[in-house]
Amino acid sequence: MMVQLKVNGELRSADCPPETTLLKFLREHLNLTGAKLGCDVGDCGTCTVIVDGESVNSCLMLAARAAGHDVTTIEGLANSQQLHPIQQAFEEHGALQCGFCGPGMIMSAKDLLDKNPEPSVLEIRDALSGNLCRCTGYTKIIEAIIDAGQAMSEENTPA
Amino acid sequence: MIKRGRGMACMWYPIGFTVAANASAATVKVNTDGTATLLTGTVETGQGALTVLGQIAAEALGVATDDVHVVSADTDATPMDTGAIASRTTYVTGNAVKLAAEKAREILFESAAPMLKVRADQLEARDRRIQVLGFPSKSVTIGEAAHYSENVLGNPSIGSASYNPPTVEMDPETGAGKPFNTYVYATQIADVEVDDETGEVEVKKIVAVHDCGTPINPMLVEGQIQGGISMGVGFALQEEILFKDGVQVNPNLTNYIMPTSLDMPELEVELVDNYDPTGPFGAKGAGEPTAVPTAAAITNAIYDAVGVRITSLPATAERVLTAIEEKRAIS
Amino acid sequence: MMATRTTDVQTDAEELVKARESQAPAKQPLVKPVDDPVIYPLELPESETRLTTPAVGQRATRPDGRLHGLGQTQYIDDITFPHMVHAKVLRSAHPHARILNVDTSAAEAMPGVLATLTGKEIPTNSFGPTLQDQPVLAGEIVRHRGDGVAAVAAVTEQIAADALEKIKVEYEPLEAIFDPLVALEEDSLKIHGGDTNVYASKVIKKGDVETALAASDHVIHQQYQTQMVEHVPLEPHASIASWDGNGRVSIWSSLGRITLGREDLARTLNLPQAKIRLIGTIVGGNFGGKNEITNEPILAMLSRKTGRPVKSVFTRGDEFVSSTIRHPFTMDYTSGFMNDGTIIARKIRLILDGGAYCSWTGTTIGKGSILAPGPYNIDNILVEAYAVYTNKTTTGAMRGFGAPQVCFAYESQMDDIARTVGMDPLEIRLKNAFNEGSSSPTNQSLHSVAVKESLTQASERFDWKGWQND
Repeated sequence: MMVQLKVNGELRSADCPPETTLLKFLREHLNLTGAKLGCDVGDCGTCTVIVDGESVNSCLMLAARAAGHDVTTIEGLANSQQLHPIQQAFEEHGALQCGFCGPGMIMSAKDLLDKNPEPSVLEIRDALSGNLCRCTGYTKIIEAIIDAGQAMSEENTPA
Repeated sequence: MIKRGRGMACMWYPIGFTVAANASAATVKVNTDGTATLLTGTVETGQGALTVLGQIAAEALGVATDDVHVVSADTDATPMDTGAIASRTTYVTGNAVKLAAEKAREILFESAAPMLKVRADQLEARDRRIQVLGFPSKSVTIGEAAHYSENVLGNPSIGSASYNPPTVEMDPETGAGKPFNTYVYATQIADVEVDDETGEVEVKKIVAVHDCGTPINPMLVEGQIQGGISMGVGFALQEEILFKDGVQVNPNLTNYIMPTSLDMPELEVELVDNYDPTGPFGAKGAGEPTAVPTAAAITNAIYDAVGVRITSLPATAERVLTAIEEKRAIS
Repeated sequence: MMATRTTDVQTDAEELVKARESQAPAKQPLVKPVDDPVIYPLELPESETRLTTPAVGQRATRPDGRLHGLGQTQYIDDITFPHMVHAKVLRSAHPHARILNVDTSAAEAMPGVLATLTGKEIPTNSFGPTLQDQPVLAGEIVRHRGDGVAAVAAVTEQIAADALEKIKVEYEPLEAIFDPLVALEEDSLKIHGGDTNVYASKVIKKGDVETALAASDHVIHQQYQTQMVEHVPLEPHASIASWDGNGRVSIWSSLGRITLGREDLARTLNLPQAKIRLIGTIVGGNFGGKNEITNEPILAMLSRKTGRPVKSVFTRGDEFVSSTIRHPFTMDYTSGFMNDGTIIARKIRLILDGGAYCSWTGTTIGKGSILAPGPYNIDNILVEAYAVYTNKTTTGAMRGFGAPQVCFAYESQMDDIARTVGMDPLEIRLKNAFNEGSSSPTNQSLHSVAVKESLTQASERFDWKGWQND
């Protein structure tokens, strides 16, 4: 079946079997391999993307269900001008080690900061609780998110 | 009722393999503009090895970290390496990298000496320059020396080297011997809260002080300590593969409980000021030691809080509560 | 090298989205406007920490870290080749059994299935870092539920998974042992034959532990037990194998050790090393669990049979069942000490649940035994350690190689010792801990020792002396 949706602001479509998850659709049909397959059953969060402004485990959503909707993946954050503040902060803090949890973690962070630019540490921990990380202990990730939130607030504040 | 407790644990851990050859080899090639390429057979598994090895090569060559491009993990193109295992990469591969870089640097010194009208042993490399010891204004850039060496003299600046930690075979009867060339040490102290009605343990804070020799990149060492502690917390309180008749009961992440961001305590991490002359620029290693003392620090803190000694991991709420109730029954 | 399967068809998709947008209330833009397909900044400020000399000691940012954050890092599962197919491995239905027959004919007949493979076809069907006791695919015997029995290559992952169900395996179930203490018994079933299930042992002896225990003011004994845990790397094991017209095989793998990996492949496939190229990419976490070959020889053979690149990725279930895990330790610690807190004797027995195959047990038992007495000046030591086979998941290398287990024991007992003589936990450790030049349990003279410094520094940072239990 044909599935058409907006991905990172661009209209995309591809032909796929009806049981295709949004994760597999992105990775195998649209060549957007940023979202990862860590468990395929919604436990680890490496597949996290944003659909219509809400973070979702793309391995638990059918591509057909996402048809006609707005999907944002990690590939949609930076552009030819600059990194997204979250990506910048993650790099400066050394927040990612093996990086496999990274795209999902950053999308969950974006979902949080878009709605709550000055979250408390507990609010950050809560927002990330669906994204497992085995390498970092989450510490530098949280520090980076606090910095990114401040940077994003400054961007949005009129000079 | 919530009871509070603290517990400490210290540890020692070796760098490298137990009395077996575990060599690493490396090749450093200096480009004619003073940047360089490092070839290493190790694998980047997330710990930041390629960054650290690049820093070691840069230090030995006298250039900046960004000047060195690191190529790794291709048996066609990179030299042998025993692998990213046993916390050996900074120490063993790092020593190989340093030796290789020094060999490449030797060629640069030999070529720069006539440019500066001194002997090669009067030179040092720092801040992207080759300069005369004691008279730094007499210098050339590393790029100038590398260009002159390769394109004028026909002597490309390249160095290859290997390193294997010297060990001494262990006596088969007593085990006496020198199984590792060096060790690292650490202490972790945990602050916990135990609910004596449910047995639930919450780790509020862990202070971790680790020795890694010279930290080549302190940010990455902190990351290893923080990550290792998360494995330690899981080992202490949550993780367990359950078996029934030879079949794993919970081979999935729904039922194999491991630390999420909500489970991690506040962490305070410090490094001991130490230098190991056998390591590259005094460095030792950090990957595994970080996960070693956490469980004991937590179970010692549980004892301090509620007076029960957990002798079987993980210290789940059920186990802690059972121990608390047994203690109550006795007294 | 990347196969693109995108087919962009702009039909009434724009109409669809416009209709939705006219219904829904106006939203904040979700992303910065994307008016070009470039997904990374073309000009970036350079990272100051990477430009500063001297390089050692800099908090240098990681170039791979930037790519991770952009989603540009290519892990194995992100790599595709033209005409690549997918492999799956059928795992054993029993923890211990004899294989009487493997019938892959029904699987082979399925549309989309290109090849199957069984253990009999592997040229040298054994590997292992110390003992080569582990098959690539089981030959006659399966020794745990994670043992591979047969493999399938098919045009899609789904077909490969479906084909596994069509493989018929006849087993003769055998008695199985799950408890290492049972495995130690003389009359127990021998999982790898021979006359014992003990496959690795170690002894460390220093001084005279029995005399010292007898001379101690206090002797305490405790048994400690640790559990089976898994590395849980976020990236599952993955590899791709592909041949060229010169009979060379290239293998991309999540292995953490490619030099040894190439040796293993040369051995199991009976190939010269120069005919094998092994490429380790960026790995999504290892922690010890990706330090030996798993499916690589299987993929090499399936690739040769099909003439196509073959990829396999472990499921999360495979990670738990078919990759290695940490050795559970049963530890008996007996310590003899004086009224002033000096520990003069320590006697330790370690039983390692050694799983179905040897894997990295040699290193684990060696390290575990040497570290077991702790970082303390103890003149009289006896450590006896044994690893036994059981019909459970293969126990291998995991971050610490026995150290987390023994540290749990020796540091727990340290606090019990402190309490017995009425000393503070910090004081008892400072009293006994190594100094520069101290003699280790193996009589090695230690240099660059920092255990007391770490104790003092940590205690100050924690304010150990000022602590109140409220």
